[in-house]
Amino acid sequence: MNLDRIRVLMGKELREFRASPSILIPVLILVVISAILPILVVVVIPNATGTSMANDRALHQVIARAATWMPQLARLPPQAAAEAFLFQQFLFIFLIAPIVGAVSLGAYSVVGEKQQRTLEPLLSTPVSTAELLVAKALAAFLPALAIEAGGLCVYAVLVATIGSPGVLDVLLTTRTLMLVGVLGPCAALAALQATIAVSSRVHDPRSAQQIAVLLVAPLMVMFIGQIVGAFVVTTPMLAAVTAAVGALWVLLVLLSVALFDRESILTRWK
Amino acid sequence: MSFTVQGGEVFGLLGPNGAGKTITLRMLGGLIMPTSGSVQIDGRPFTRATAASLRARIGFLTETPGLWDQLSVEDNLLVYARLFSVQLPGVAVERALRLLELWDRRADHVALLSKGMKQKLALARSLVHNPRILLLDEPTANLDPQTSRTVRDLLHRLRGEGCAIVVSTHNLDEAERMADRVGLVSGRLIAVGEPALLRREVFGRRLRVQLLPSSRPPSDFVAVVTRAGARDVRLDGTDLSMALDAQDAGTPAIVRALVDAGAEVRAVFDDEPSLEDVYLKLLRPGAATA
Repeated sequence: MNLDRIRVLMGKELREFRASPSILIPVLILVVISAILPILVVVVIPNATGTSMANDRALHQVIARAATWMPQLARLPPQAAAEAFLFQQFLFIFLIAPIVGAVSLGAYSVVGEKQQRTLEPLLSTPVSTAELLVAKALAAFLPALAIEAGGLCVYAVLVATIGSPGVLDVLLTTRTLMLVGVLGPCAALAALQATIAVSSRVHDPRSAQQIAVLLVAPLMVMFIGQIVGAFVVTTPMLAAVTAAVGALWVLLVLLSVALFDRESILTRWK
Repeated sequence: MSFTVQGGEVFGLLGPNGAGKTITLRMLGGLIMPTSGSVQIDGRPFTRATAASLRARIGFLTETPGLWDQLSVEDNLLVYARLFSVQLPGVAVERALRLLELWDRRADHVALLSKGMKQKLALARSLVHNPRILLLDEPTANLDPQTSRTVRDLLHRLRGEGCAIVVSTHNLDEAERMADRVGLVSGRLIAVGEPALLRREVFGRRLRVQLLPSSRPPSDFVAVVTRAGARDVRLDGTDLSMALDAQDAGTPAIVRALVDAGAEVRAVFDDEPSLEDVYLKLLRPGAATA
């Protein structure tokens, strides 16, 4: 694989994304919602209605169970512990943002190229299929990751300024880092690769997006299951899920290279 | 289908829509693999292992320009120059843009260009890495006559520099002006050769004699030339058009016979059918093929 060619193609992709910023609107909306929704649910609404989460018995029980794998919660006052627990859970939503972003960009990247009929001249160069797909995957992944990182910074600032004292410290743990720093990017890469694989066979970016975004479903199950107390996603569990998603990504890379049939793309796409 | 194109030669692929010209070019460019047979460049066949290095030697003008509309004219070419690992991509891009008179538009987004400009830019893209082999699918499509001429001149220059050029077209006039040899394709290679030789092969040699008005009607001279060895004699106003078996030897005998019979000969020249006539005759169902 020629790294120079991958870099050139990535640069081209990024310049095209910059020229069409509307592709990024879905992920920007999601990041804004991810950063603001927890603050509304955890701080603004309870304050506006005069209710206190510290008095919610069901939540209290869930937090007590969570304290067994998040001992920092036990050291916080009840209100701060409730905030810390909920802010921690809402981090799962941030996993969805890079997936949505990467899928939007990835689908546009291959199907858009087919629609503009720009693939044929590109395929007449020495670029290999693997170089082309890796460049497209990385070019879509990096902006999505940057947006996720930006959203997390905003989230951290909001939690630090609006949340109770000590809440932010509870969020800054190995588990959080693994969740947003490893599982999130891995899930985004897997979704992206699925998008690229599907894009090679469909005529419309939306079809690719709809199929690839199915990867969000297991993450939502983790989020909802944990917040209702059905199960606890511990750090070892996160590591296992991350490894599984990483393996899925590798499989999807192989699949997308196999599905990217130069000849049918050139002869059947009109 | 089997043919060879040498360096310093322009080869025209002619055929109706759907004849397989574009597919042939794609196979020659290593974009798709032939189901049987092989494409070789300097004796090296296209395989998975050689495809990338062989493609690096080819400039391919695709059927549609296939340019990135959101990027500038210059950026479109820079990407290709770098993908082909050109040493000084900026210099190569400037050279290609100047060659096609697009340097002044280098900062414009491709979306703003006319169809003709896009075609010129696509041609510049195929030249940016200074390839020795050029595969051009309808190079003058969408171009005005003046620009078409510029492109033809450019191709002649590249031929002079030793490039092997394959041009696909159904513009017969264009093929006649550009190509040293042509291949007629319609699902398979029907005929291949120099346009003039193809004409001779298909129609034989024809002579046209222009007569000045005289006291005898021109129709009287039909029998005269027939007796002198001409066949298939046709009267076209005061012109006589006829087929001759001999390459050149028949002409003096025909002229002498006409003069002896009292005709006043104004001009004598080979009556060459157009490439279009050859094309239409060869593509007619049931036509004999070479």
